[in-house]
Amino acid sequence: MTHLLSLIDTHPQLGRPNPPLIVQTPETHSTPSKRKNASPNTALVVENDESLVKFFKRCLEHEDYEATFAANSEDGLRLYRDCAAFNVVLISYSVPRENGFGIDCLGPQRHGTELAMSIREINRSQPMIIVALDYRSASEVPRPSELMDIPLLTDISNFQLRHLLAKIEIDRAMGALTDSQLVRLKRFADYRVRGLGRAARGRTGQDLLSEACLRTLIGAGSTREGRHWNKYVDFVWHLTGAMRSISNGWKRQFEAAVRRKEPEAYLIPTFPIQDAVGREYSPLSNVASGDAGPEQCLIEKDEEDRVLAMSKDDAEATQVLQGLLDGLKKDGIMSKYGLDENQYAAVVKRILKLVGANGGRKR
Amino acid sequence: MRNMADKKNNEERLERLMNRLAESVLELSDETVLAEVNESGTDPAQEAETTRLVLRQASKNFDSLEKRLCNLGHAIDSNDWHYVDGTYDNYCLSCGAWVSFETATGEIQGEAFDRSCLGNAYLIKRQEASR
Repeated sequence: MTHLLSLIDTHPQLGRPNPPLIVQTPETHSTPSKRKNASPNTALVVENDESLVKFFKRCLEHEDYEATFAANSEDGLRLYRDCAAFNVVLISYSVPRENGFGIDCLGPQRHGTELAMSIREINRSQPMIIVALDYRSASEVPRPSELMDIPLLTDISNFQLRHLLAKIEIDRAMGALTDSQLVRLKRFADYRVRGLGRAARGRTGQDLLSEACLRTLIGAGSTREGRHWNKYVDFVWHLTGAMRSISNGWKRQFEAAVRRKEPEAYLIPTFPIQDAVGREYSPLSNVASGDAGPEQCLIEKDEEDRVLAMSKDDAEATQVLQGLLDGLKKDGIMSKYGLDENQYAAVVKRILKLVGANGGRKR
Repeated sequence: MRNMADKKNNEERLERLMNRLAESVLELSDETVLAEVNESGTDPAQEAETTRLVLRQASKNFDSLEKRLCNLGHAIDSNDWHYVDGTYDNYCLSCGAWVSFETATGEIQGEAFDRSCLGNAYLIKRQEASR
């Protein structure tokens, strides 16, 4: 059994690792790799206005969607029953029930919302967008309370539609994460925050993961701000890349605060220590200048010693840990201590077990 | 000086180690990842669920921001969020009211979040200003 445990070198600017080598293994691997095979998304558009149909066709094609169109709510429901599931269903708020039926513009429009209700009865989790271009804001659009969670498209500009589609894709990708992927993300986040030391300023792995998710959502319709997710990139790969970049940013912020001698840079203890009665206190709480006191050195040295002490009964683990602490790469460690690929992989597994994401440290 | 150098050295060594361990977690098989959680006395399904909730909560926070702005009639260009020191800022295209969103806490501030869109008042002001 060959495991790939190459410790990836991260690119300092891109904040993303080199693509990992692919090694065949009998075990299940849902480890992140950059590219993802994604078939084109599908959309059902229920809209009777021809100019809007053309607009949606163009926009959806641009976003890699294969669109099916219906001009009234009855055809829309029939197509949905015959061809579901769709990645998204766009329903015009004022679509007629059948062709040839005029719309009373002054009367209540209900065929669009009725169609949305029928689709929801068939599939509760079907992502939908209601197109309500005649309204200025979402609060003005009358609709049943059961449909209040469906996003509304009130703006014809492309950015709103693109953003809504991207948001749906992200929600789907999040919902599709398996238990092992979620555990892997959590562990990754915990280690990254733990590596930040004082620069974490009291943040946890959950904070890091949450921030990565938020930036992805903010970057949903944008390639300029936030963290835009390309749907052809593995979602776990994307989130881990975001977490690398965010944690590096936190570190830079902390270093800048230290350079500016901001007292708050020291207010949050990184390694809380408990006193005799179990109360947490920080030995750094009185340090108020850019010159870290000897206590800080001791604490970090202590953490390093503690990690090494955990592996004292395992000579190979101690060697590999020492190599990692000294900044050696995988090949360097293997050649220095005469380990082959399998031995190295097994040792790293043992280290992960020993150290654990929160191993032996009270927070 | 010795303390400063030692401190930096210790910090860097630990950071390097933890980052390498983080990367190595990505390379473990699904079975190994779940087995490790099990061995540490934690239920993997529970840990996965907790993580799922973290992601859902982040999504919910962002949803509530968007829905609130949409209900108040503001037109926010999602391409126009500007990030400065952990906070995203944007403004309504119709009335110019600003909104800021702190990613770490989910805290939302700004006049766009407190009042309805004033329609074209912003455009009118802009036109008047350009005369």
